[in-house]
Amino acid sequence: MEARKIELMVGIFISVAIAALVFLAMQVANQSSSTRGETYTLYAKFDNIGGLKVRSPVKVGGVVVGRVASITLDKEFFEPVVELRISKEYSGFPETSTASILTSGLLGEQYVGLEPGFMDDDIFVLENGDTIYHTNSAMVLENLIGQFLFSQGND
Amino acid sequence: MKFFIDIGRNTLNTVRGVGGASIMLFQALVGKPQPRKMFPLLLRQLYVVGVQSMLIILISGLFIGMVLGLQGYTILVDFGAEQALGPMVALSLLRELGPVVTALLFAGRAGSALTAEIGLMRATEQLSSLEMMAVDPLRRVVAPRFWAGLISMPLLAFMFSAIGIYGGFIVGVQWLGVDDGAFWSVMQASVEWRHDVMNGFIKSVVFAIVVTWIALYKGYTAEPTSPGISAATTQTVVYSSLAVLGLDFVLTALMFG
Amino acid sequence: MDNLVTVEDVYFKRGDTSIYEGVSLQVPRGKVTAIMGPSGCGKTTLLRLIGGQLKPQSGSIKFADYEINKLGRNQLFNVRKRMSMLFQSGALFSDMTVFDNIAFPLREHTDLPANIIATVVKMKLQAVGLRGAGNLFPSELSGGMARRAALARSIALDPELIMYDEPFAGQDPISMGVLVKLIRSLNSTLGLTSIVVSHDIHEVMSIADHVCIMANKTIVAQGSPEQLKQEGNPLVHQFMYGEPDGPVPFHYAANGYNADLLGGGKP
Repeated sequence: MEARKIELMVGIFISVAIAALVFLAMQVANQSSSTRGETYTLYAKFDNIGGLKVRSPVKVGGVVVGRVASITLDKEFFEPVVELRISKEYSGFPETSTASILTSGLLGEQYVGLEPGFMDDDIFVLENGDTIYHTNSAMVLENLIGQFLFSQGND
Repeated sequence: MKFFIDIGRNTLNTVRGVGGASIMLFQALVGKPQPRKMFPLLLRQLYVVGVQSMLIILISGLFIGMVLGLQGYTILVDFGAEQALGPMVALSLLRELGPVVTALLFAGRAGSALTAEIGLMRATEQLSSLEMMAVDPLRRVVAPRFWAGLISMPLLAFMFSAIGIYGGFIVGVQWLGVDDGAFWSVMQASVEWRHDVMNGFIKSVVFAIVVTWIALYKGYTAEPTSPGISAATTQTVVYSSLAVLGLDFVLTALMFG
Repeated sequence: MDNLVTVEDVYFKRGDTSIYEGVSLQVPRGKVTAIMGPSGCGKTTLLRLIGGQLKPQSGSIKFADYEINKLGRNQLFNVRKRMSMLFQSGALFSDMTVFDNIAFPLREHTDLPANIIATVVKMKLQAVGLRGAGNLFPSELSGGMARRAALARSIALDPELIMYDEPFAGQDPISMGVLVKLIRSLNSTLGLTSIVVSHDIHEVMSIADHVCIMANKTIVAQGSPEQLKQEGNPLVHQFMYGEPDGPVPFHYAANGYNADLLGGGKP
């Protein structure tokens, strides 16, 4: 009788734990589907990456399509090179696409916004390992203020 | 002179303790597995160690989650960022509070009980008696308790985090009026299964090993007298709490640093 | 004579305290051997040495053909199946009933089916007069009953050697009488060899075939009870007749009494 009670209670214990795990999996965490599974890599050079971090999202029109895999400094030109890991689901961006470093909200995190460019016959599609040449760097508040004051002074 | 002697003695004692504890664990766990004999013992220990710690874990988790919701809201609302309450509650629970507080409560609830139980078995010669009956007390008494602790604590940590997040939801959404959809969706956007949930899980596995190990070793080597057992019980709680907090820093630095 | 256990020239230290300096004794097969001595002289330690729970610094301990102090862990566990020990506290497992306690060694070491185990357990309980108490927990037993239950457990596997650690300590005269009778009758009916560690002279003298007296870290005398009563050694005489002062002093070693009292009140 006592053995059965122990079995029952341990059974309940394990079930509660599994329920907690399912709750965490379904309701709380994302499975980071955009970086799961097959991915391909693009590179983008910026003048300034601002507050971009490894694992920051890469978005196209607000949809997360990938993540920043690494950020390094080009040895020759001392430019930051950002490695983007993009889901295979979202491939076929034209080489005229633009990568910008944007900020979600006033205090939000920074992310890479990818804007697909125009497509034409003599335009290639970005493949694994290609580099995006059209980039907009992060806005740096001090530079903005500087520009603003400068333009005021010219009037 | 005396200073160096003290350092030397403490170092030697520490090394001896760690060595003894390692030998104990090795002898307890290595050997021919006997699932038919082990399973009922393990089940019983899961009951003692896991099931009986469940209530305190669930209640503490609920309250800690509610406090996080309340405190987080009052801070975030000043920045107009109360939408970020969800990730704040979920991330603090999954990454830190879940594994750490569970380990601390576990040390106090189950660890001290393990130490006292094994210490008393030593004091009443039950361990010697097992040895004389040609039954290895390490495999019979220590091993099932170790596995039970190792299995229970991560499960308890999951329960703690889950109910804590629910507590944060009750306070944040139901009481303080954060938007329901935003609470969950912002949370989902920033909590990652592998990075946050799994790293918390790894933490609690490490804590489980350390706390259970300390508790068993302290009980097994307790002096078989009433002051000896009471000292061993206290040491279990103190050492495992310190070990958990110290290791937490190291693990956090490795995982999220 | 055929000896089941032979202890030869054993030196044993616990930490820095020397406990034995050259202990030698023989335990004849099929007899009850008593080991006596003043409290704190390490009688229980001797049983643990024979059981292989402690290892001596030097000397040899033989059980049957095995040299206990040289055996590896696994061999030691095999040899221990042939011996058993009744601990001072009984050492019943507090989370099992009396029945399960006695069934424990059978379940651990044999593959007997449940009904045969039940029969064996009932026979053992009958032998110690506790067949009616099988469903009680150890905490519900009196001290004497707990010791009898523990005795039933120690004979569960029909060992060759059984070691009693202070079987009479803290028992009322009736349970003492019961235990004396049990030790004697188990020894003759089961063909056991028994070692009894005790300092209850009268009870021990009434059942022992062979007596060893231990003092000053060694064996001071051994022989049959009659031989020992005639023994000229003042220490043996003091012990056998229970005199308060003699070679074993009444006072713990201290400074001079006068000097201590007049010496300024330091403890």
